[in-house]
Amino acid sequence: MASLRGLSRPACRLPLSQIARPTYASRPIRCASSQAAEAPPPPDLAELEQSALTTPELSPEEKKQYRPWKRAKERKTQLPGARYQYHPPKFYRGPLHPVQSPPSSDPRARNFVPGPFNLPRLKQTYHSTIAPDLMTLTYMHVPPGTPDKEPADRLRGWDGSSPYHKNRALRGPRGGAELPLIERDIDFTNIPEIKEVTLAMYQPEAQRNPDYLVVARSVLLAITGTMPELTKTKSNVVQWHVREGIKAGCKTTIRGNAAYEFLDRCIHLVWPKIKDWKGIQATTGDGSGNLSWGFEPEDMKFFPEIEFNYWLYPPHMMPGCRVFVKTSATSDRQARLLLQAFGVPFYGPVRD
Amino acid sequence: MGKLPSTLLRRPCLTGRLPTISPGFTHTPLAPLIPSPATTTITPLPTLRPTQVRHATFIPRHRRPYQFTQLVQLSDGSTFTVRTTSPQALYRSDKDSRNHILWNPSEASLRNVEVDEAGKLAAFRERYGTAWDLEGGAGKGAAPAAGDKDAAGKKGEAKDAAAPAQEEEQHDSLVDLISAFATVDNSVKGGMSAKAQAKLEKGKKK
Repeated sequence: MASLRGLSRPACRLPLSQIARPTYASRPIRCASSQAAEAPPPPDLAELEQSALTTPELSPEEKKQYRPWKRAKERKTQLPGARYQYHPPKFYRGPLHPVQSPPSSDPRARNFVPGPFNLPRLKQTYHSTIAPDLMTLTYMHVPPGTPDKEPADRLRGWDGSSPYHKNRALRGPRGGAELPLIERDIDFTNIPEIKEVTLAMYQPEAQRNPDYLVVARSVLLAITGTMPELTKTKSNVVQWHVREGIKAGCKTTIRGNAAYEFLDRCIHLVWPKIKDWKGIQATTGDGSGNLSWGFEPEDMKFFPEIEFNYWLYPPHMMPGCRVFVKTSATSDRQARLLLQAFGVPFYGPVRD
Repeated sequence: MGKLPSTLLRRPCLTGRLPTISPGFTHTPLAPLIPSPATTTITPLPTLRPTQVRHATFIPRHRRPYQFTQLVQLSDGSTFTVRTTSPQALYRSDKDSRNHILWNPSEASLRNVEVDEAGKLAAFRERYGTAWDLEGGAGKGAAPAAGDKDAAGKKGEAKDAAAPAQEEEQHDSLVDLISAFATVDNSVKGGMSAKAQAKLEKGKKK
Protein backbone atom coordinates (compact mmCIF):
# COMPACT_ATOMS: atom_id res chain seq x y z
CA MET A 1 0.00 0.00 0.00
CA ALA A 2 3.06 2.24 0.02
CA SER A 3 3.01 3.69 -3.48
CA LEU A 4 -0.43 3.44 -4.91
CA ARG A 5 -0.07 6.18 -7.50
CA GLY A 6 0.58 4.87 -10.92
CA LEU A 7 -0.62 1.50 -9.84
CA SER A 8 -2.22 0.74 -13.13
CA ARG A 9 0.83 1.60 -15.18
CA PRO A 10 3.24 -0.99 -13.80
CA ALA A 11 0.44 -3.47 -13.97
CA CYS A 12 0.11 -2.78 -17.68
CA ARG A 13 3.71 -3.80 -18.16
CA LEU A 14 3.18 -7.03 -16.29
CA PRO A 15 3.21 -9.85 -18.80
CA LEU A 16 -0.07 -11.10 -17.46
CA SER A 17 -0.95 -12.87 -20.66
CA GLN A 18 2.36 -14.69 -20.64
CA ILE A 19 1.86 -15.74 -17.03
CA ALA A 20 -1.69 -16.83 -17.29
CA ARG A 21 -2.10 -18.17 -20.78
CA PRO A 22 0.55 -20.93 -21.14
CA THR A 23 -1.16 -23.05 -18.50
CA TYR A 24 -4.30 -23.01 -20.57
CA ALA A 25 -2.52 -23.44 -23.87
CA SER A 26 -0.65 -26.53 -22.72
CA ARG A 27 -3.83 -28.28 -21.67
CA PRO A 28 -5.88 -30.00 -24.34
CA ILE A 29 -9.02 -28.11 -23.30
CA ARG A 30 -11.36 -26.66 -25.88
CA CYS A 31 -12.40 -23.21 -24.82
CA ALA A 32 -15.27 -21.59 -26.63
CA SER A 33 -13.72 -18.19 -26.04
CA SER A 34 -10.41 -19.11 -27.66
CA GLN A 35 -12.07 -20.75 -30.62
CA ALA A 36 -14.37 -17.83 -31.21
CA ALA A 37 -11.44 -15.55 -31.98
CA GLU A 38 -10.08 -17.93 -34.60
CA ALA A 39 -13.29 -18.76 -36.39
CA PRO A 40 -14.91 -16.22 -38.75
CA PRO A 41 -18.20 -14.73 -37.51
CA PRO A 42 -21.23 -16.82 -38.49
CA PRO A 43 -23.23 -15.50 -41.47
CA ASP A 44 -26.30 -14.64 -39.40
CA LEU A 45 -24.21 -12.31 -37.22
CA ALA A 46 -22.53 -10.65 -40.18
CA GLU A 47 -25.20 -8.00 -40.43
CA LEU A 48 -24.25 -6.78 -36.96
CA GLU A 49 -20.85 -5.86 -38.30
CA GLN A 50 -22.34 -3.46 -40.83
CA SER A 51 -22.60 0.15 -39.93
CA ALA A 52 -24.26 3.15 -41.50
CA LEU A 53 -20.87 4.52 -42.42
CA THR A 54 -20.05 1.61 -44.73
CA THR A 55 -23.24 1.79 -46.81
CA PRO A 56 -22.72 3.30 -50.26
CA GLU A 57 -23.96 6.81 -50.88
CA LEU A 58 -27.24 7.25 -52.72
CA SER A 59 -27.06 8.16 -56.40
CA PRO A 60 -28.65 11.46 -57.52
CA GLU A 61 -31.54 9.59 -59.17
CA GLU A 62 -32.31 7.75 -55.97
CA LYS A 63 -32.15 10.99 -54.03
CA LYS A 64 -34.63 12.60 -56.43
CA GLN A 65 -37.03 9.74 -56.06
CA TYR A 66 -37.07 10.04 -52.29
CA ARG A 67 -39.66 12.77 -51.72
CA PRO A 68 -41.63 12.11 -48.56
CA TRP A 69 -43.36 15.50 -48.66
CA LYS A 70 -44.80 14.72 -52.11
CA ARG A 71 -46.11 11.42 -50.91
CA ALA A 72 -47.76 13.13 -47.96
CA LYS A 73 -49.38 15.70 -50.26
CA GLU A 74 -50.75 13.09 -52.63
CA ARG A 75 -52.23 11.07 -49.83
CA LYS A 76 -56.03 11.09 -50.13
CA THR A 77 -56.93 10.09 -46.58
CA GLN A 78 -55.54 11.31 -43.31
CA LEU A 79 -53.30 9.12 -41.27
CA PRO A 80 -54.87 7.98 -38.00
CA GLY A 81 -54.47 10.56 -35.27
CA ALA A 82 -52.54 10.18 -32.11
CA ARG A 83 -55.65 9.16 -30.20
CA TYR A 84 -55.83 5.97 -32.23
CA GLN A 85 -52.29 5.07 -31.34
CA TYR A 86 -51.36 3.09 -28.30
CA HIS A 87 -50.69 5.09 -25.19
CA PRO A 88 -49.54 3.36 -22.06
CA PRO A 89 -51.67 3.96 -18.97
CA LYS A 90 -50.78 6.88 -16.76
CA PHE A 91 -51.26 4.92 -13.57
CA TYR A 92 -50.04 1.64 -12.26
CA ARG A 93 -53.03 0.00 -10.60
CA GLY A 94 -51.41 -3.07 -9.17
CA PRO A 95 -50.28 -6.40 -10.58
CA LEU A 96 -53.80 -7.82 -10.90
CA HIS A 97 -55.27 -4.98 -12.97
CA PRO A 98 -56.08 -5.93 -16.59
CA VAL A 99 -54.45 -2.78 -17.99
CA GLN A 100 -50.73 -3.00 -17.40
CA SER A 101 -48.11 -0.50 -18.47
CA PRO A 102 -45.22 -1.74 -20.59
CA PRO A 103 -41.83 -2.16 -18.91
CA SER A 104 -39.59 0.88 -18.71
CA SER A 105 -37.33 -0.61 -21.37
CA ASP A 106 -40.15 -0.28 -23.93
CA PRO A 107 -39.82 2.97 -25.90
CA ARG A 108 -43.58 3.52 -25.61
CA ALA A 109 -43.49 3.40 -21.82
CA ARG A 110 -43.97 6.64 -19.97
CA ASN A 111 -40.85 6.16 -17.87
CA PHE A 112 -38.62 5.16 -20.77
CA VAL A 113 -35.19 6.76 -20.88
CA PRO A 114 -33.25 6.24 -24.11
CA GLY A 115 -29.65 5.28 -24.02
CA PRO A 116 -26.87 4.52 -23.44
CA PHE A 117 -25.44 6.53 -26.29
CA ASN A 118 -21.76 6.09 -25.59
CA LEU A 119 -19.39 4.02 -23.53
CA PRO A 120 -17.72 6.35 -21.05
CA ARG A 121 -13.97 6.41 -21.26
CA LEU A 122 -13.48 5.83 -17.56
CA LYS A 123 -15.87 2.89 -17.54
CA GLN A 124 -14.03 1.33 -20.44
CA THR A 125 -10.73 1.80 -18.65
CA TYR A 126 -12.19 0.32 -15.51
CA HIS A 127 -13.39 -2.86 -17.17
CA SER A 128 -10.35 -3.34 -19.38
CA THR A 129 -7.52 -2.33 -17.06
CA ILE A 130 -8.37 -1.20 -13.55
CA ALA A 131 -10.54 -4.08 -12.42
CA PRO A 132 -8.10 -6.85 -13.46
CA ASP A 133 -5.21 -4.85 -12.05
CA LEU A 134 -6.90 -4.37 -8.70
CA MET A 135 -7.70 -8.05 -8.56
CA THR A 136 -4.20 -9.26 -9.38
CA LEU A 137 -2.22 -6.71 -7.41
CA THR A 138 -4.17 -7.15 -4.21
CA TYR A 139 -4.06 -10.93 -4.42
CA MET A 140 -2.99 -12.59 -1.19
CA HIS A 141 -2.18 -16.24 -1.54
CA VAL A 142 -3.71 -18.52 1.04
CA PRO A 143 -2.37 -22.08 0.92
CA PRO A 144 -5.17 -24.55 0.37
CA GLY A 145 -6.30 -26.25 3.53
CA THR A 146 -5.70 -23.18 5.68
CA PRO A 147 -8.49 -22.93 8.23
CA ASP A 148 -10.70 -19.86 7.95
CA LYS A 149 -9.94 -17.03 10.32
CA GLU A 150 -12.47 -16.63 13.06
CA PRO A 151 -14.21 -13.28 12.70
CA ALA A 152 -13.66 -10.96 15.62
CA ASP A 153 -16.56 -10.53 18.05
CA ARG A 154 -18.07 -7.22 17.11
CA LEU A 155 -21.02 -7.46 19.44
CA ARG A 156 -20.33 -7.35 23.14
CA GLY A 157 -21.61 -10.12 25.34
CA TRP A 158 -22.63 -10.05 28.95
CA ASP A 159 -20.24 -11.08 31.68
CA GLY A 160 -22.72 -13.34 33.44
CA SER A 161 -22.43 -11.59 36.79
CA SER A 162 -26.18 -11.59 37.09
CA PRO A 163 -28.55 -14.51 36.55
CA TYR A 164 -30.60 -12.21 34.35
CA HIS A 165 -27.77 -12.13 31.81
CA LYS A 166 -28.74 -15.54 30.58
CA ASN A 167 -30.16 -15.54 27.01
CA ARG A 168 -29.79 -11.79 26.70
CA ALA A 169 -29.14 -10.42 23.24
CA LEU A 170 -25.63 -9.19 22.52
CA ARG A 171 -24.90 -5.48 22.81
CA GLY A 172 -23.70 -3.18 20.06
CA PRO A 173 -20.27 -1.52 20.02
CA ARG A 174 -19.34 1.16 22.50
CA GLY A 175 -19.55 4.76 21.43
CA GLY A 176 -21.94 4.41 18.55
CA ALA A 177 -24.93 2.49 17.41
CA GLU A 178 -23.47 1.60 14.02
CA LEU A 179 -21.57 -1.56 13.33
CA PRO A 180 -18.65 -0.82 11.04
CA LEU A 181 -18.31 -2.93 7.94
CA ILE A 182 -15.82 -5.79 7.89
CA GLU A 183 -13.31 -5.41 5.08
CA ARG A 184 -13.67 -8.14 2.49
CA ASP A 185 -10.69 -9.26 0.47
CA ILE A 186 -10.71 -8.29 -3.19
CA ASP A 187 -11.30 -11.30 -5.40
CA PHE A 188 -12.97 -11.90 -8.72
CA THR A 189 -16.43 -11.66 -7.20
CA ASN A 190 -15.63 -8.60 -5.14
CA ILE A 191 -13.77 -5.96 -7.13
CA PRO A 192 -14.63 -2.47 -5.92
CA GLU A 193 -16.53 -0.33 -8.40
CA ILE A 194 -18.38 2.95 -8.49
CA LYS A 195 -21.98 2.55 -7.38
CA GLU A 196 -23.25 6.11 -7.46
CA VAL A 197 -22.20 9.70 -7.01
CA THR A 198 -24.29 12.09 -4.95
CA LEU A 199 -23.94 15.83 -5.28
CA ALA A 200 -25.37 18.14 -2.64
CA MET A 201 -25.55 21.89 -2.32
CA TYR A 202 -26.54 23.97 0.68
CA GLN A 203 -27.77 27.53 0.28
CA PRO A 204 -29.07 28.90 3.58
CA GLU A 205 -29.61 32.32 1.99
CA ALA A 206 -32.44 30.75 0.04
CA GLN A 207 -34.85 31.33 2.91
CA ARG A 208 -34.74 35.06 2.19
CA ASN A 209 -34.19 34.92 -1.54
CA PRO A 210 -35.47 31.82 -3.34
CA ASP A 211 -33.43 32.73 -6.41
CA TYR A 212 -30.48 31.10 -4.70
CA LEU A 213 -32.27 27.79 -5.02
CA VAL A 214 -32.98 28.35 -8.69
CA VAL A 215 -29.31 28.97 -9.35
CA ALA A 216 -28.24 25.98 -7.27
CA ARG A 217 -30.69 23.71 -9.03
CA SER A 218 -29.73 24.87 -12.48
CA VAL A 219 -26.05 24.42 -11.68
CA LEU A 220 -26.66 20.89 -10.45
CA LEU A 221 -28.93 20.16 -13.40
CA ALA A 222 -26.30 21.36 -15.84
CA ILE A 223 -23.52 19.37 -14.21
CA THR A 224 -25.30 16.07 -13.73
CA GLY A 225 -28.12 16.13 -16.28
CA THR A 226 -30.66 15.03 -13.69
CA MET A 227 -33.36 17.04 -11.97
CA PRO A 228 -32.18 17.70 -8.39
CA GLU A 229 -34.50 17.43 -5.43
CA LEU A 230 -34.80 20.10 -2.79
CA THR A 231 -33.53 19.47 0.70
CA LYS A 232 -34.70 21.05 3.93
CA THR A 233 -32.75 22.14 6.96
CA LYS A 234 -32.74 19.62 9.76
CA SER A 235 -32.49 21.79 12.83
CA ASN A 236 -32.71 25.32 14.20
CA VAL A 237 -29.44 27.22 14.52
CA VAL A 238 -30.14 30.65 15.96
CA GLN A 239 -26.66 32.04 15.36
CA TRP A 240 -26.82 31.24 11.66
CA HIS A 241 -30.45 32.39 11.33
CA VAL A 242 -31.43 28.93 10.17
CA ARG A 243 -34.87 27.62 10.97
CA GLU A 244 -35.92 24.03 10.78
CA GLY A 245 -37.73 22.70 7.74
CA ILE A 246 -36.74 25.41 5.27
CA LYS A 247 -35.88 24.55 1.70
CA ALA A 248 -32.21 25.41 1.68
CA GLY A 249 -30.42 23.19 -0.73
CA CYS A 250 -30.65 20.52 -3.35
CA LYS A 251 -29.11 17.18 -4.08
CA THR A 252 -29.05 14.62 -6.80
CA THR A 253 -27.69 11.15 -7.33
CA ILE A 254 -26.24 9.84 -10.57
CA ARG A 255 -25.49 6.23 -11.31
CA GLY A 256 -23.91 4.18 -14.03
CA ASN A 257 -22.55 5.95 -17.08
CA ALA A 258 -23.38 9.40 -15.78
CA ALA A 259 -21.42 8.75 -12.60
CA TYR A 260 -18.39 7.58 -14.55
CA GLU A 261 -18.55 10.61 -16.85
CA PHE A 262 -18.87 12.97 -13.91
CA LEU A 263 -15.79 11.46 -12.26
CA ASP A 264 -13.92 11.63 -15.56
CA ARG A 265 -14.78 15.31 -15.89
CA CYS A 266 -13.68 16.03 -12.33
CA ILE A 267 -10.38 14.23 -12.67
CA HIS A 268 -9.27 15.35 -16.09
CA LEU A 269 -10.93 18.71 -16.66
CA VAL A 270 -11.95 20.39 -13.41
CA TRP A 271 -9.30 19.66 -10.82
CA PRO A 272 -6.31 20.56 -13.01
CA LYS A 273 -7.82 24.00 -13.55
CA ILE A 274 -8.12 24.79 -9.84
CA LYS A 275 -5.29 27.00 -8.64
CA ASP A 276 -2.88 25.48 -6.11
CA TRP A 277 -4.91 22.31 -5.84
CA LYS A 278 -3.09 19.70 -3.82
CA GLY A 279 -5.44 16.79 -4.19
CA ILE A 280 -8.04 15.20 -2.00
CA GLN A 281 -7.41 14.81 1.68
CA ALA A 282 -6.51 11.18 2.28
CA THR A 283 -8.44 11.18 5.55
CA THR A 284 -11.74 11.37 3.70
CA GLY A 285 -14.16 8.51 3.93
CA ASP A 286 -16.83 7.19 6.24
CA GLY A 287 -15.02 3.97 7.08
CA SER A 288 -17.08 1.81 4.75
CA GLY A 289 -15.77 2.74 1.33
CA ASN A 290 -17.58 5.99 0.58
CA LEU A 291 -15.28 8.91 -0.16
CA SER A 292 -16.24 12.54 -0.49
CA TRP A 293 -14.82 15.91 -1.42
CA GLY A 294 -16.04 19.39 -2.13
CA PHE A 295 -15.92 22.14 -4.69
CA GLU A 296 -15.66 25.78 -3.69
CA PRO A 297 -18.07 28.22 -5.35
CA GLU A 298 -15.22 29.64 -7.41
CA ASP A 299 -14.30 26.15 -8.63
CA MET A 300 -17.70 25.47 -10.14
CA LYS A 301 -16.96 27.57 -13.21
CA PHE A 302 -14.40 25.03 -14.35
CA PHE A 303 -17.06 22.49 -15.22
CA PRO A 304 -17.44 22.61 -19.02
CA GLU A 305 -21.23 22.91 -18.76
CA ILE A 306 -21.00 25.89 -16.42
CA GLU A 307 -18.14 27.43 -18.31
CA PHE A 308 -20.17 27.46 -21.52
CA ASN A 309 -22.75 29.94 -20.21
CA TYR A 310 -21.11 31.20 -17.07
CA TRP A 311 -22.60 34.64 -17.63
CA LEU A 312 -26.06 33.20 -16.99
CA TYR A 313 -25.30 32.53 -13.34
CA PRO A 314 -25.13 35.41 -10.87
CA PRO A 315 -21.63 35.18 -9.41
CA HIS A 316 -22.64 35.90 -5.81
CA MET A 317 -25.28 33.18 -5.98
CA MET A 318 -22.97 30.48 -7.32
CA PRO A 319 -23.03 27.66 -4.77
CA GLY A 320 -20.33 25.25 -3.75
CA CYS A 321 -20.91 21.57 -3.97
CA ARG A 322 -20.23 18.44 -1.97
CA VAL A 323 -19.59 15.20 -3.78
CA PHE A 324 -20.05 11.78 -2.23
CA VAL A 325 -18.77 8.79 -4.14
CA LYS A 326 -20.35 5.54 -3.10
CA THR A 327 -18.29 2.52 -4.02
CA SER A 328 -18.85 -1.15 -3.48
CA ALA A 329 -15.60 -1.30 -1.51
CA THR A 330 -15.99 -2.28 2.11
CA SER A 331 -13.24 -0.06 3.50
CA ASP A 332 -11.78 3.36 2.78
CA ARG A 333 -8.49 1.70 1.94
CA GLN A 334 -10.00 -0.20 -0.96
CA ALA A 335 -12.07 2.76 -2.10
CA ARG A 336 -8.96 4.92 -2.17
CA LEU A 337 -7.21 2.23 -4.17
CA LEU A 338 -10.00 2.35 -6.72
CA LEU A 339 -10.08 6.12 -7.02
CA GLN A 340 -6.29 6.31 -7.21
CA ALA A 341 -6.41 3.93 -10.11
CA PHE A 342 -8.91 6.31 -11.72
CA GLY A 343 -6.38 9.11 -11.30
CA VAL A 344 -7.62 10.90 -8.19
CA PRO A 345 -4.65 12.35 -6.29
CA PHE A 346 -4.68 12.11 -2.51
CA TYR A 347 -2.50 14.03 -0.08
CA GLY A 348 -1.79 14.04 3.60
CA PRO A 349 -1.81 11.33 6.21
CA VAL A 350 -3.93 8.25 5.74
CA ARG A 351 -6.41 7.14 8.33
CA ASP A 352 -7.85 3.67 8.23
CA MET B 1 -28.92 26.18 -29.62
CA GLY B 2 -30.70 23.58 -27.63
CA LYS B 3 -32.87 24.04 -24.63
CA LEU B 4 -30.80 25.25 -21.75
CA PRO B 5 -31.33 23.46 -18.45
CA SER B 6 -32.50 26.60 -16.68
CA THR B 7 -35.60 26.71 -18.84
CA LEU B 8 -36.91 23.62 -17.09
CA LEU B 9 -36.87 25.18 -13.67
CA ARG B 10 -39.67 27.02 -11.94
CA ARG B 11 -39.14 29.65 -9.31
CA PRO B 12 -40.19 28.27 -5.93
CA CYS B 13 -42.70 30.31 -3.96
CA LEU B 14 -41.89 31.60 -0.50
CA THR B 15 -45.05 30.08 0.98
CA GLY B 16 -44.08 26.63 -0.09
CA ARG B 17 -44.74 25.14 3.32
CA LEU B 18 -48.49 25.53 3.15
CA PRO B 19 -50.28 22.21 2.93
CA THR B 20 -51.37 21.62 -0.61
CA ILE B 21 -54.59 19.93 -1.50
CA SER B 22 -54.76 17.68 -4.46
CA PRO B 23 -56.93 19.12 -7.24
CA GLY B 24 -59.08 16.04 -7.41
CA PHE B 25 -60.82 16.95 -4.21
CA THR B 26 -63.12 19.90 -3.77
CA HIS B 27 -62.01 22.15 -0.98
CA THR B 28 -64.49 21.85 1.86
CA PRO B 29 -63.45 23.85 4.90
CA LEU B 30 -66.27 22.45 7.00
CA ALA B 31 -67.40 18.94 6.43
CA PRO B 32 -71.11 18.37 7.04
CA LEU B 33 -70.67 16.89 10.47
CA ILE B 34 -74.28 17.29 11.55
CA PRO B 35 -76.63 15.83 8.98
CA SER B 36 -79.62 18.14 8.73
CA PRO B 37 -82.92 16.68 7.58
CA ALA B 38 -82.83 18.90 4.46
CA THR B 39 -79.52 17.50 3.24
CA THR B 40 -80.31 13.85 3.52
CA THR B 41 -80.63 13.47 -0.24
CA ILE B 42 -77.25 15.14 -0.94
CA THR B 43 -74.44 12.68 -1.45
CA PRO B 44 -71.69 13.17 1.13
CA LEU B 45 -68.65 15.08 -0.10
CA PRO B 46 -65.33 13.29 -0.01
CA THR B 47 -63.57 14.13 3.21
CA LEU B 48 -59.88 14.96 3.43
CA ARG B 49 -57.85 12.28 5.10
CA PRO B 50 -54.57 12.90 6.91
CA THR B 51 -52.85 10.22 4.83
CA GLN B 52 -53.39 9.85 1.14
CA VAL B 53 -54.84 6.54 0.00
CA ARG B 54 -53.70 5.57 -3.45
CA HIS B 55 -55.15 2.77 -5.39
CA ALA B 56 -53.07 3.79 -8.36
CA THR B 57 -49.50 4.94 -8.66
CA PHE B 58 -48.73 7.71 -11.11
CA ILE B 59 -46.04 6.81 -13.61
CA PRO B 60 -44.18 10.04 -14.21
CA ARG B 61 -42.35 10.91 -17.37
CA HIS B 62 -38.72 11.64 -16.60
CA ARG B 63 -37.80 15.30 -16.41
CA ARG B 64 -34.40 15.51 -17.90
CA PRO B 65 -32.58 18.05 -20.04
CA TYR B 66 -31.51 17.32 -23.57
CA GLN B 67 -28.07 15.79 -23.61
CA PHE B 68 -25.69 16.49 -26.44
CA THR B 69 -22.78 14.40 -27.55
CA GLN B 70 -19.72 16.53 -27.11
CA LEU B 71 -16.24 15.92 -28.41
CA VAL B 72 -13.65 16.76 -25.78
CA GLN B 73 -10.14 17.49 -26.89
CA LEU B 74 -7.49 17.39 -24.21
CA SER B 75 -4.38 19.51 -24.33
CA ASP B 76 -2.30 16.68 -25.79
CA GLY B 77 -4.70 16.34 -28.71
CA SER B 78 -6.50 13.20 -27.59
CA THR B 79 -10.25 13.28 -28.09
CA PHE B 80 -13.23 11.43 -26.67
CA THR B 81 -16.98 11.89 -26.64
CA VAL B 82 -19.13 12.62 -23.63
CA ARG B 83 -22.84 13.10 -23.08
CA THR B 84 -23.38 16.53 -21.64
CA THR B 85 -25.97 19.25 -21.24
CA SER B 86 -23.64 21.77 -22.84
CA PRO B 87 -24.58 22.43 -26.49
CA GLN B 88 -20.98 23.02 -27.45
CA ALA B 89 -19.96 20.50 -30.10
CA LEU B 90 -16.24 20.57 -29.39
CA TYR B 91 -14.70 21.38 -26.05
CA ARG B 92 -11.01 22.21 -26.20
CA SER B 93 -9.27 22.19 -22.89
CA ASP B 94 -6.12 24.20 -22.36
CA LYS B 95 -5.37 22.96 -18.85
CA ASP B 96 -6.12 19.39 -17.90
CA SER B 97 -4.49 16.37 -16.36
CA ARG B 98 -2.22 15.94 -19.38
CA ASN B 99 -0.30 19.14 -18.67
CA HIS B 100 -0.59 19.34 -14.91
CA ILE B 101 2.37 18.60 -12.67
CA LEU B 102 0.25 16.64 -10.18
CA TRP B 103 -0.61 14.00 -12.77
CA ASN B 104 2.79 14.13 -14.52
CA PRO B 105 5.31 14.39 -11.68
CA SER B 106 8.26 13.35 -13.85
CA GLU B 107 7.59 15.90 -16.58
CA ALA B 108 10.37 18.47 -16.29
CA SER B 109 8.72 21.00 -18.59
CA LEU B 110 5.75 21.35 -16.25
CA ARG B 111 7.86 22.09 -13.21
CA ASN B 112 7.79 25.66 -12.02
CA VAL B 113 11.37 26.59 -12.85
CA GLU B 114 12.50 30.18 -12.80
CA VAL B 115 13.74 31.36 -16.18
CA ASP B 116 16.47 33.95 -15.71
CA GLU B 117 18.36 34.15 -18.99
CA ALA B 118 19.19 37.83 -18.74
CA GLY B 119 20.24 37.56 -15.12
CA LYS B 120 17.83 40.27 -14.05
CA LEU B 121 16.40 38.26 -11.19
CA ALA B 122 19.88 37.36 -9.97
CA ALA B 123 20.88 41.02 -10.09
CA PHE B 124 17.79 41.95 -8.13
CA ARG B 125 18.57 39.35 -5.51
CA GLU B 126 22.15 40.53 -5.29
CA ARG B 127 20.97 44.01 -4.56
CA TYR B 128 17.88 43.51 -2.43
CA GLY B 129 18.19 39.94 -1.15
CA THR B 130 15.69 37.12 -1.38
CA ALA B 131 13.20 38.55 1.08
CA TRP B 132 10.96 39.51 -1.84
CA ASP B 133 10.66 35.95 -3.06
CA LEU B 134 7.43 34.09 -2.58
CA GLU B 135 7.01 31.83 0.43
CA GLY B 136 7.48 28.71 -1.62
CA GLY B 137 10.61 30.10 -3.27
CA ALA B 138 12.43 30.63 0.02
CA GLY B 139 12.10 27.00 1.05
CA LYS B 140 13.06 25.60 -2.33
CA GLY B 141 15.83 28.16 -2.85
CA ALA B 142 18.58 25.56 -2.94
CA ALA B 143 17.10 23.12 -5.43
CA PRO B 144 16.33 25.40 -8.42
CA ALA B 145 19.61 27.23 -7.89
CA ALA B 146 21.48 23.93 -8.10
CA GLY B 147 19.53 23.03 -11.20
CA ASP B 148 20.41 26.35 -12.78
CA LYS B 149 24.03 25.77 -11.92
CA ASP B 150 23.97 22.37 -13.60
CA ALA B 151 22.43 23.84 -16.69
CA ALA B 152 25.09 26.54 -16.80
CA GLY B 153 27.79 23.91 -16.39
CA LYS B 154 26.42 21.91 -19.29
CA LYS B 155 26.43 24.94 -21.51
CA GLY B 156 29.97 25.76 -20.44
CA GLU B 157 29.45 29.47 -20.09
CA ALA B 158 29.54 31.61 -16.94
CA LYS B 159 30.66 28.56 -15.02
CA ASP B 160 33.05 30.44 -12.78
CA ALA B 161 30.61 33.31 -12.31
CA ALA B 162 27.92 31.03 -10.99
CA ALA B 163 29.87 29.74 -7.98
CA PRO B 164 30.55 33.07 -6.21
CA ALA B 165 27.04 34.18 -7.01
CA GLN B 166 25.85 31.04 -5.30
CA GLU B 167 27.92 31.85 -2.22
CA GLU B 168 26.65 35.41 -2.12
CA GLU B 169 23.12 34.20 -2.48
CA GLN B 170 23.60 31.85 0.43
CA HIS B 171 25.01 34.69 2.55
CA ASP B 172 22.22 37.03 1.52
CA SER B 173 19.60 34.49 2.26
CA LEU B 174 21.08 33.91 5.73
CA VAL B 175 21.11 37.60 6.54
CA ASP B 176 17.63 37.94 5.16
CA LEU B 177 16.52 34.97 7.19
CA ILE B 178 17.74 36.60 10.38
CA SER B 179 16.22 39.97 9.52
CA ALA B 180 12.96 38.38 8.46
CA PHE B 181 12.86 36.48 11.72
CA ALA B 182 13.35 39.71 13.63
CA THR B 183 10.60 41.53 11.75
CA VAL B 184 8.25 38.63 12.12
CA ASP B 185 8.93 38.58 15.85
CA ASN B 186 8.10 42.28 16.14
CA SER B 187 4.88 41.89 14.25
CA VAL B 188 3.86 38.98 16.40
CA LYS B 189 4.41 40.93 19.58
CA GLY B 190 2.50 43.81 18.12
CA GLY B 191 5.28 46.33 18.82
CA MET B 192 5.70 48.49 21.86
CA SER B 193 3.07 50.80 23.13
CA ALA B 194 3.64 54.53 22.81
CA LYS B 195 4.39 54.76 26.52
CA ALA B 196 7.06 52.04 26.41
CA GLN B 197 8.58 53.62 23.30
CA ALA B 198 8.85 56.98 25.05
CA LYS B 199 10.46 55.37 28.08
CA LEU B 200 12.99 53.62 25.92
CA GLU B 201 13.89 56.78 24.08
CA LYS B 202 14.31 58.63 27.37
CA GLY B 203 16.66 55.94 28.61
CA LYS B 204 18.69 56.15 25.39
CA LYS B 205 19.06 59.92 25.69
CA LYS B 206 20.35 59.61 29.25
